[in-house]
Amino acid sequence: MSVRNGILALLAEEPRHGYALKSEFSRRTAGTWELNVGQVYTTLARLRRDGLVAEDEPVDGPRHRWRVTGSGRGALEKWLGTPVDEAASRNELILKVLLALGGPPDRLRLVLDRQRAFAMERLQEYTRARPVLADAGDLSAELALDALVLRVDADLRWLDRCEQRVADRERESRLDRGSR
Amino acid sequence: MKDAPAVSFERVERVYASGPSVTRALGPIDLELEIGEFVAIMGPSGSGKSTLLSLAGALDRPTAGRVRLRGVDLATRTASQLATLRRRSLGYVFQDLNLLPGLTACENVALPRELDGASIAVARREALEALDTVGLGHLAERFPEDLSGGERQRVAVARAFVGARELVLADEPTGALDSMAGERVLRLLRERCDESGCTVVLVTHDATHAGWADRVLFLRDGLLASEARGSARLVPGV
Ligand SMILES: Nc1ncnc2c1ncn2[C@@H]1O[C@H](COP(=O)(O)OP(=O)(O)OP(=O)(O)O)[C@@H](O)[C@H]1O
Ligand SMILES: [Mg+2]
Repeated sequence: MSVRNGILALLAEEPRHGYALKSEFSRRTAGTWELNVGQVYTTLARLRRDGLVAEDEPVDGPRHRWRVTGSGRGALEKWLGTPVDEAASRNELILKVLLALGGPPDRLRLVLDRQRAFAMERLQEYTRARPVLADAGDLSAELALDALVLRVDADLRWLDRCEQRVADRERESRLDRGSR
Repeated sequence: MKDAPAVSFERVERVYASGPSVTRALGPIDLELEIGEFVAIMGPSGSGKSTLLSLAGALDRPTAGRVRLRGVDLATRTASQLATLRRRSLGYVFQDLNLLPGLTACENVALPRELDGASIAVARREALEALDTVGLGHLAERFPEDLSGGERQRVAVARAFVGARELVLADEPTGALDSMAGERVLRLLRERCDESGCTVVLVTHDATHAGWADRVLFLRDGLLASEARGSARLVPGV
């Protein structure tokens, strides 16, 4: 659904060729979301089937441009006006940690350590890209990067919290055993 | 021959004994930091971050093991030799108590150079240059109490790098700052590290700040738990 609406949004800005859609999608998402040409054309075909986009007559060469229809604009407005509900519970990292809780503490710690180091390396990459983007004055790329950075940061905080809660729990159960 | 590392820890431990209770604050730790490297230390409260930083910064001595700075074993140095080393080659940025209140920004930055024997004129010129590098040349004559928290920390960064420093140690330098001001201090630390070739060790709780480092070490219960070495790879398409 995101790709479909993304393409609709780009076509609502101006009519575009299929290939231009692919590269503009990538540029506007700062390279964090790449589409392949096949995906673009399948999506366009479906959008046309649903009456949301139409093809222009080819003017410059064989390739034709796509434009949004009236009901396409309606669908886009509806999408933009609807809040996104990304269920945090359907997340592989969360699932992995929750299931690792059932195993030995050392393995859980290994999961947390590996994920923490990995997430940190991602954060380092993003951070390194920042001055470059700021100098280039590319606002959409900067905002895309902010989103990535803050999400990784949230993961890292959550990993710290998991470790802290597990450690607290272990300490409590040691104390319980000791006092018995 | 390869240069000796900026900092090396060999089986370093720091144990505090008060009466019958013994606290192992750190170690044993083996660690090498390369010259020019920017290293961040993270870990929960009490995991030994500040202890590690104090040992690397010759502010404390280990209870076992060796700490070497550029190959020099700190245990072989007298207290006054260490004081000279700290004044001349090391720079510190801490969360507070950074600047002397009776001195202007410029005088604060010039002070370590004057103590090190530079003439007042030379020290002042270097201080003004250093303040320029952190974007505060225009506030050189202000007193610390007339600066914002973020500006004070940037003065502290200027001071930590003034002269021929080799190693700069920062413990939660952005602690009291809002996120934009904190980010600015981090960018400056990174820039000054790159331009001066200094080694920088930063203790922080904020992962987005640690993201500026070449390497991030995670401590747990006084030991190294894991490590992140960000590759030079950028975000695809950027
Ligand atoms: N002078 C001291 N006497 C006794 N114990 C100490 C002393 N200094 C530190 N410790 C203990 O050593 C351990 C590590 O302390 P350290 O200050 O290095 O932690 P930290 O990681 O910097 O924590 P924080 O994030 O809270 O600053 C802690 O358990 C602390 O209580
Ligand atoms: Mg500390």
